[in-house]
Amino acid sequence: MTFSNPAPAAVDTAAARRRRRADGRRTLNSNAPSHRGDARLAWILIAPAGIGFLVFAVYPTIRGVYFSFTDYHLLSAPQWIGFANFIEMFQDQTFWASVLVTVYFVVIAVSLTLIISILTAAVLHRVTKSTAVRGLIILPFLISGVVAATVWSWMLDAQLGIVNEAIRALGGQGIQFLTSRQWAIPSLAFIQVWKNMGYTSIIIFAGMQTIPASIYEAGRIDGANERQMFFRLTLPLLRPILALVLVLNVIGAFQVFDIVSVATKNGGPANASNVLQMYIYQKGFGQFDFGYASTMSLALFVILIIITFLQMRLLRANESDNA
Amino acid sequence: MKKLRIIASIALVGLVAAGLAACSTSGTASGGKTTVNWWTWDDQQAAAYKLCLPGFEKANPNIDVKITQYNVNDYFTKLTAGFVAGTAPDAFQDSVPQLGIYASQKQILPLDDLIKKTNYNLGQFDVGVASWKYTDGKQYGIPLDWAGAAIYFNEDMIKKAGLTDQDINNLTWNPTDGGTFDKVVAHLTIDKNGVRGDQPGFDKNNVKTYGIASLAAQDFNGQTSWNPFVATLGWKLGGTKAAWPTEIPYNDPNLVSTLNYIKKLGDRGLMPKYGQFTVSSADQMGAGNVAMAQDGTWNATSLTKVPGLKVGIAPTVKSADGTRGMISNSNANNIFAGSKHVDQAWKWVTYMGSTACQTTAGKTATFLPSIASALQSTVDYQKTQGVDIQSFVDAAKNNELYPAPPMANGQELADTIQPEFEAFFTGEKGDSIFQTMQTQSQQILTKK
Repeated sequence: MTFSNPAPAAVDTAAARRRRRADGRRTLNSNAPSHRGDARLAWILIAPAGIGFLVFAVYPTIRGVYFSFTDYHLLSAPQWIGFANFIEMFQDQTFWASVLVTVYFVVIAVSLTLIISILTAAVLHRVTKSTAVRGLIILPFLISGVVAATVWSWMLDAQLGIVNEAIRALGGQGIQFLTSRQWAIPSLAFIQVWKNMGYTSIIIFAGMQTIPASIYEAGRIDGANERQMFFRLTLPLLRPILALVLVLNVIGAFQVFDIVSVATKNGGPANASNVLQMYIYQKGFGQFDFGYASTMSLALFVILIIITFLQMRLLRANESDNA
Repeated sequence: MKKLRIIASIALVGLVAAGLAACSTSGTASGGKTTVNWWTWDDQQAAAYKLCLPGFEKANPNIDVKITQYNVNDYFTKLTAGFVAGTAPDAFQDSVPQLGIYASQKQILPLDDLIKKTNYNLGQFDVGVASWKYTDGKQYGIPLDWAGAAIYFNEDMIKKAGLTDQDINNLTWNPTDGGTFDKVVAHLTIDKNGVRGDQPGFDKNNVKTYGIASLAAQDFNGQTSWNPFVATLGWKLGGTKAAWPTEIPYNDPNLVSTLNYIKKLGDRGLMPKYGQFTVSSADQMGAGNVAMAQDGTWNATSLTKVPGLKVGIAPTVKSADGTRGMISNSNANNIFAGSKHVDQAWKWVTYMGSTACQTTAGKTATFLPSIASALQSTVDYQKTQGVDIQSFVDAAKNNELYPAPPMANGQELADTIQPEFEAFFTGEKGDSIFQTMQTQSQQILTKK
């Protein structure tokens, strides 16, 4: 690729200029003759993923947005009703209650997941490098949510669960983990944490391994102890990874459904665990009110976009201190 | 480059074709035979109705019937998906609350023309025909069975308590002092120290055996919990309307006092508290946690077959003047409007709705046939098996059943009311909730 005579034909057509502007990241060399025509191949290679994205993500999303402005009961054609669904949503107390329940769940689940995962990753990083331990830790993540929720709902059962047997054996009173208002969401959050902390730990652990050993060496020479190095070196250098993990966990927790559906059935007791996805499911697939269900899904979508945007901004997730 | 494009488009066409082919494999005819698909949500009934197949297929050699069962939690979702995709079964078992939505959306066929054409006799049914008439006055369902409630009791515990079957068969009840029902429940309750619920020194916080399994259910019609109690006071789910009610009188003083009575049973330690037991009443009785349980008639066989347990069956409570009452839910067969084999499906549906099939399948007592003569043979057969369900027949004969009213937006009502009953029985909300429930029921039932 040593010769570099200027491209004879397509020097500076408007189209070429537009293309260049549109793709700022293209390497300087991309206009070299050997690269011309690659676009077509690129499109063909992207096509399978692109078509999948268009068919299974973009199209359903646009359709969902459309449905949210309609009265749509699945078996008859949707009817345009403007903002009626949105007005109903703002006045729907069950909707706002389920938003609060969801936020409560997200706060408990995400904060616990992060704390436990960072601690676990630190232990993995500084104490043991055994792959067997790493494998064990990620195991719960490999189990399907339905299975995890089923097993835990048996173990947490108010009457027969092993957890309550243990509490009673120790002289305590049995706790209605999944059937009382004060315990339902914390119990569900616990199941979520149990299931996800392994995966999160491994990501954080991988992030820790990218921190050069020389930094710790320097730290040690400067007389920092293990604790100081963790708070002053490890955590700041991990920021991009932590931001990623935080965003993923928040989105995942907002979208919790399988655990709730299995462990507390219909979001009970008395809507105490009626998370947003559960309510949307009930409206859509239980009562066939797909118009209204779409409106609430759109609201969840907007909530997630705003939260994710804020997180990315506040954590400056796209830049690292490690550079 | 051109070659590449050609290859790519061929590949794409191939993929699409393969996808389409995969979609269109819904089997219809095999060797001149027509397959009629029929769905039910009950595994026991799926097995029971299979007993009708030999007789039907002998009479109709050109029709194959395929019976499929889906768990009730997925059944109606699956059915709806089937309506949309056009893959719903030709005929299927359906529950009254769904009639409104399916008929209004024109997903099920009105059967009047078929009934006329084949001279099918709806008069043979003793229960359920009226529940399946839609607001347009047309008949959409052919009754299959009906269900109600009964009191199941542990014979040994009754004897030990010095009571007889007759006592349980004649329990009276009122919301003020609970009648003999209250006395029996208290007497059957035993705490950790062996003190009975009606004796001094009873420890209500450490109960070994409760007099009765929880009646604090959250379903909107209380079919097997509070409904048989409040029905003795004349309260009915649809108020004054037998069909398409515009409100549910949840704020009726009779219902409010009934529910408060039931809640207090839990507070007094005579009945498990809400959410305390998580297993079925058969398991609770088997474990000796409860002496009696009010449960659905459909559980008669599973409750009486608990190993090492002698279980008696009694009718529900009656008022001081002897009035009994309970809601009966009548399941029926519907035919999918998009079915390609309506005539064949109709043959199967009418065969299921015949005395022959109802007698054959009904013997299993997994359901109570809507045809009285078939019901009688169910009772007779079960008697030879040592299970006495005569009280179910008596309830039907003595007009103690009132049919579940078909209603608009049944599912939305159920979803809305359930958390409110939960809030009441867990003590989160007081009596004020009942006015809310009544207002909501009005809004939902009259919504277009």
